[in-house]
Amino acid sequence: MMAYQKIRFATFVQNAWIRHRSISYNDVFKIKQADQTIGLSLRKIDIYRLVQPYLQTRLLEQCRAVVPLVLYLALFQILVMHHQIDQIWLVLSGVLAVILGLMLFMEGLKHGLMPLGEGIGHSLPRKLPLPMVLLIAFLLGIGVTFAEPAIGALKTAGSIVDVTQAPYLYAMLNDWAGVLVMSVGAGVGLAVVTGTLRLLNGWSLKPFIYAALAPALLLTVYFMMDAELSKVIGLAWDCGAVTTGPVTVPLVLALGIGVAAASGKADSPLSGFGVVTLASIFPIVAVMLLALYVTSTTSAEAIIAIASQPTIAAAVNLPWYETSPGQEVISGVRAIVPLIVFLMIVLKLFLRERVHHVAITVYGITLCVLGMIIFNLGLTFGLVQIGDMVGALLPAAFTGLDSVANSPLYGFALGVVVVVAFAWLLGFGATLAEPALNALGQTVETLTQGSFKKQTLIVAVSIGVGFGIAIGVLKITFDIPLAYLLIPAYAAALLLTYFSSEEFVNIAWDSAGVTTGPITVPLVLAMGLGLGSAVNAVEGFGILSMASIGPIVAVLGTGLWVQWQANKRQHLLDDELTLQENGT
Amino acid sequence: MKNNDNMQTMTVLTDVCLITCIVQRGSADKVVSAAQDAGAHGATIYYAQGTGEQQLLGVLSVAVESEKEIVEILVPSDYANHIYEAMFIAGELDTPGMGVIYMTQIEKAATYMPPDVLMALREQA
Repeated sequence: MMAYQKIRFATFVQNAWIRHRSISYNDVFKIKQADQTIGLSLRKIDIYRLVQPYLQTRLLEQCRAVVPLVLYLALFQILVMHHQIDQIWLVLSGVLAVILGLMLFMEGLKHGLMPLGEGIGHSLPRKLPLPMVLLIAFLLGIGVTFAEPAIGALKTAGSIVDVTQAPYLYAMLNDWAGVLVMSVGAGVGLAVVTGTLRLLNGWSLKPFIYAALAPALLLTVYFMMDAELSKVIGLAWDCGAVTTGPVTVPLVLALGIGVAAASGKADSPLSGFGVVTLASIFPIVAVMLLALYVTSTTSAEAIIAIASQPTIAAAVNLPWYETSPGQEVISGVRAIVPLIVFLMIVLKLFLRERVHHVAITVYGITLCVLGMIIFNLGLTFGLVQIGDMVGALLPAAFTGLDSVANSPLYGFALGVVVVVAFAWLLGFGATLAEPALNALGQTVETLTQGSFKKQTLIVAVSIGVGFGIAIGVLKITFDIPLAYLLIPAYAAALLLTYFSSEEFVNIAWDSAGVTTGPITVPLVLAMGLGLGSAVNAVEGFGILSMASIGPIVAVLGTGLWVQWQANKRQHLLDDELTLQENGT
Repeated sequence: MKNNDNMQTMTVLTDVCLITCIVQRGSADKVVSAAQDAGAHGATIYYAQGTGEQQLLGVLSVAVESEKEIVEILVPSDYANHIYEAMFIAGELDTPGMGVIYMTQIEKAATYMPPDVLMALREQA
């Protein structure tokens, strides 16, 4: 006979599943009170479980931004242009360096720079008088510009410019490179100051746009008259697009919101907007003023003479800090450290505040510097290489190039269509995937109570950038003066601004700044320069500036359309109501 | 009170437990799907900010998001332990910094009850 023991199946499952152990939280608390150091050891599996998703999500985030773009360029080159990628391993490791560098940099930004910036933004306006706050805001504007990863691309671009064709452009990107970034920074600083004042007083953005664009456009017209100066227009307008990246935007916003909160202005949903817009217009004026200064102090012949002279002597033994890996290390340190020092001085001397979580802040700053160095390396060997290569190949689609066998590949008309389609898709795709745009879309949808859908904004901006880049590529290919494109485009934007409501003006002008991130900027810049040198254009700048104005016009137009639709629906509703009232 | 046909009826559920699980932002999905595999019907997720014992992890604490997701699930008390354990394991809550889970008794709950379920219950009784 067998003895039966009855067990409830549920009880069995419960016991086999996981072992339970009950402890009183009171006891745990008492033990912890008695010995503060208890429980500080971690198992290996715990470290793995903590670190693995931490690295994975951050790496994938950057991969998602970089890989599709690079793949698109590479496939286009191989499948459409029938051309192998030169030095594929070098380029590949460069792209990896960009991913890794950006990942480290963004993480460092989050733990190192942002807490400092937020702390300052929060307590600065409470402890110091307004003029002092504005001065620090101005200096911060300069600091963040140097720390912006895409700024490095400008310097790299400088080495591609031919000194004999555009001496002033060459001088500004090489001998005057530091001053150039400084004046861009001054533009950003001024934008931060005006933006903060605007926030405090609740001024409308429209007059600021008119006032800032008037000198920019007037200077452009003046530059257009001068044969030498006209070559700088592209650089100046592109600088505006470079400034609004992952360092500037959050730090500047943190300061602005801090000031607004301290002044008792409840932060309206629009309070963050506008600064980005001004930060992309003021640098344009600043760079053009610098160009005026450079032309008035040095002559074109002198620049050419200086540039052609030392190349023979210097090529023999350059010091380590001027050859490739050393140069990137130096520029990486130079980009971040001054900003950190500045933030520290403000925090310690003016605010007399302690840095919380010193270890983590140090960790963040180290990551920032390391990330910047690796990113710069990747920029030189990866992104700029690819962009330059594709740009140099593009004309082979419709004209004969010595470097490409059986070019033209597609005949003139079809070739131009291929190039324009390529450029359009590049802009459209890169913008569609931009995470910052997604965030902006969300804000806009809440702001307009759903009448302006997130998807509508994303598509509008992407289409705008697509056309912007396509037009920019055409500009370089057929050597159309940039002013002919910029002036009508901005005139249209100003006209639309006049008719749009305040919210849409804010959204539209800010959307331009959001689209030009640290990956798109170097790629597009290098592509333009490569294309420019392939078709023997004087300079290859201007694509970025077209990519900035494109979305502004697109979003303003869409905004007016959405409003018109909403009004029409409202009228229909009103009519129905009156009909109903009459009926009853 | 007279039983009026026009009066609305409300079915009150008893024997309900609330499981609340606080995890790092991005981890709620796996906790919820584990709970659903174990028999939970629905879940509410909301975003929150919070920190645990930072000093426990030292510099490793940067790997822990201070942005949290809170998962709330109403479960029948007979299955509560089973679902509770499944969520604990899926969330890897035996690792520091991963989060916390707790269960509370709910006095009563009410929601839509499918009429055929009510019929079946009446037949059983």
